[in-house]
Amino acid sequence: MKKLIEVKNVVKTFDNTVVLKGISLDIYENEFVTLLGPSGCGKTTLLRIIAGFLDATEGQVMMDGEDIAKIPAYKRDVNTVFQHYALFPHLDVYDNIAFGLKIKKQAKDIIDQKVMRMISLVGLEGFEHRDVTSMSGGQQQRVAIARALVNEPRVLLLDESLSALDKNLRKEMQLELKEIQREVGITFIFVTHDQEEALTMSDKIVIMRDGEIEQIGTPVQVYNEPINEYCARFIGDSNIIDGTMVRDRLVRFDDVDYECVDYGFDKDEAVDIMIRPEDIDIVPRNRGLLNGEVKSVLFKGVHYEVIAETASGTSKTVTMHITKNQDVSNEEAGEKISASSFYMDLEDVASLTDSEVIARANAQAWNKDDEFVSLTKVQYDVKPEVGTYPCSFTTDAGTTIRININVVQPQVIEDESNEEGIQAFDFYKTADEIKESVALDTDLIRWADAYAWNIEDNSRVEIWDVKYDFDDENITEGDYQVTFSTQGREIKIETTDRIEEGQKIGLKWSPEDIHVMRKMG
Amino acid sequence: MKSFSKMVYPYVIWAMAMIVAPMLMLVLYAFTVKGNSVLTFQFTIDNFIRFFSDPVFPGVLWRSLKLAVITTVICIAVGYPSAYIIAKLKPNSQALMILLITLPTWINMLVRTYAWRGILGHLSMSGELKVYIGMLYNFLPFMILQIYTALSKIDPNLIVAAHDLGANNRETFRRVILPLSLPGVVSGITLVFLPAVSSFFIPKLLGGGQYVLIGNLIEDYFISTGDWNFGSAISLIMAIIILASMYFTRKLDRKVGEQEDD
Repeated sequence: MKKLIEVKNVVKTFDNTVVLKGISLDIYENEFVTLLGPSGCGKTTLLRIIAGFLDATEGQVMMDGEDIAKIPAYKRDVNTVFQHYALFPHLDVYDNIAFGLKIKKQAKDIIDQKVMRMISLVGLEGFEHRDVTSMSGGQQQRVAIARALVNEPRVLLLDESLSALDKNLRKEMQLELKEIQREVGITFIFVTHDQEEALTMSDKIVIMRDGEIEQIGTPVQVYNEPINEYCARFIGDSNIIDGTMVRDRLVRFDDVDYECVDYGFDKDEAVDIMIRPEDIDIVPRNRGLLNGEVKSVLFKGVHYEVIAETASGTSKTVTMHITKNQDVSNEEAGEKISASSFYMDLEDVASLTDSEVIARANAQAWNKDDEFVSLTKVQYDVKPEVGTYPCSFTTDAGTTIRININVVQPQVIEDESNEEGIQAFDFYKTADEIKESVALDTDLIRWADAYAWNIEDNSRVEIWDVKYDFDDENITEGDYQVTFSTQGREIKIETTDRIEEGQKIGLKWSPEDIHVMRKMG
Repeated sequence: MKSFSKMVYPYVIWAMAMIVAPMLMLVLYAFTVKGNSVLTFQFTIDNFIRFFSDPVFPGVLWRSLKLAVITTVICIAVGYPSAYIIAKLKPNSQALMILLITLPTWINMLVRTYAWRGILGHLSMSGELKVYIGMLYNFLPFMILQIYTALSKIDPNLIVAAHDLGANNRETFRRVILPLSLPGVVSGITLVFLPAVSSFFIPKLLGGGQYVLIGNLIEDYFISTGDWNFGSAISLIMAIIILASMYFTRKLDRKVGEQEDD
């Protein structure tokens, strides 16, 4: 195949924003190339530079070895199918398609011949004199393709041309586009954010991110051997796991070594491991490479999507004291006041403020009409030592409630293997507060001041699961256990077998199903 | 929708009383002779014979049509490029320009015309030229607004598409921008030609009494002479000419739209 377009180190900036950061790309004759990436990755900008609607800030675009920067869009041997087709509303189907030929002042009979051939190529026979604005999206799309192809360009550019169609029509048009490309035998450059479209139609996929090319390859290459986590996530579904390369063909994650076929990494290099959900087999417990428990099963039509937990997260259990209602009423002033005792971290004592005490004790006072009354006096004397300290809240009318502040050592659990820490405190609540809660898990996290983080970079880790040993509808006074935990190792599996939630299973795969990738820079 | 259909009755009654009935009376007056009691009609076409046999009246009619046509043509010639330039400005500048163009229309047309009389009064130019200046000043904003609206509605992607298909700027204008902006030109013509052909106070104020147009004739016969029958006949002739010109403008619009094929 002959090289047709060479993009050489193209940079594009708009008002100081760099949209393309030095793109180099070769496109061959008769190739179906897809520029794939999320919106804002620069793929449409690159297409517009090739079309001639935009100028590159730096770098060159060559066609047949000639720099085309000086050639205006209307003289380039390139035609575009626009995202919303941009058909001329004042012209009918025939005149839309004939537009380019009339500009070139071709003879009427030749125009007629070429237009009719295009109309039959895209399957619009009988629609020649239809008003384009009254046509369906799929028909407009065909007119747009015919309008571009009739000029016999050497390159056809398609800018998200299928995105405006509904799913079934899109699939049909994908096949048709590929068919048309084979038939007319010219280069297609297709821009999309839809990975399925890219896999179905392309000879070559160019994955872009933030104005740079991440990977160029055939659909099979980019699917089976993505070069990094970004490409793996963009194409297809995948499990991506942090691991280390023990040595060639041996990789480790969650403290277990697994055979693989990858090599050429440094010893103990941190890597991303990808395993496709469809490559994992479910086997009886202890018969696979690792064991897990089924957390959820989703029916997806052709298969079930199973989430299995193979290693638990970091967890911390606290005691919840349910006490009886301790509201104090002041009959004279017609006021009521409520507050609960609470536990706090020794390290937080130094920065304790009145408003924080009120918030933590959930202190509030209200009058006969249920209007809130402000707490004007907050008295406490907390020393930076472990112990129990009295605290009181008082309103202007003299309504007072007393509680205890329990200062305790930090309640932290650190899990080295997960590289996570978690902290939570015991707390006091009344049965009514539990019953009235509309989002109990969220409230429990807040009441226990539960918090998890990554030990390495101190970033926050989500509390994934809250478990408790009470029935929140019928809770009575007493002490209860609440466990907070982070997300463990969850692996997605696609299977056609029926699996129940909660089932204990084994997971198995072959060494070549593991794909090891370098960490992204 | 059915329950709302009754709401149209007040409008129908209003239209009957205020538009249809006066029109019918106009027709009635035009075909009757002065001095008749309203109850005893005597039909005649004398009023029309009088209009066309007198050498003065068709001359006035011709002059009125000429004035309206020339005014409209100048409005298009000046208005289209102005609207085109405005539509190419940045959005903020566009809003400012449109504001500047519509600003004079906030003042009553009669007051503006008096102001022009003050300005042009000291200059020695023909009454005809003064009338043209007044007409252009009063009607140009309508033309610019109509064309600007049509131009700014054109999807910029269509222009990019035309370039993509090999059209240079001139061809893009001729094959895409112009045909898509024609509806604006047509409604601009309607908004300029119709009032221009029947206007009477601009020629009266700026023409210095020498420049008589059909609108002035109608005014004279109704107000000064009191010959309502002849005035009605002239009005009817005017109305027919206006209807015919509207019909042809519409046809023209459609024809140019289809004729892009050459």
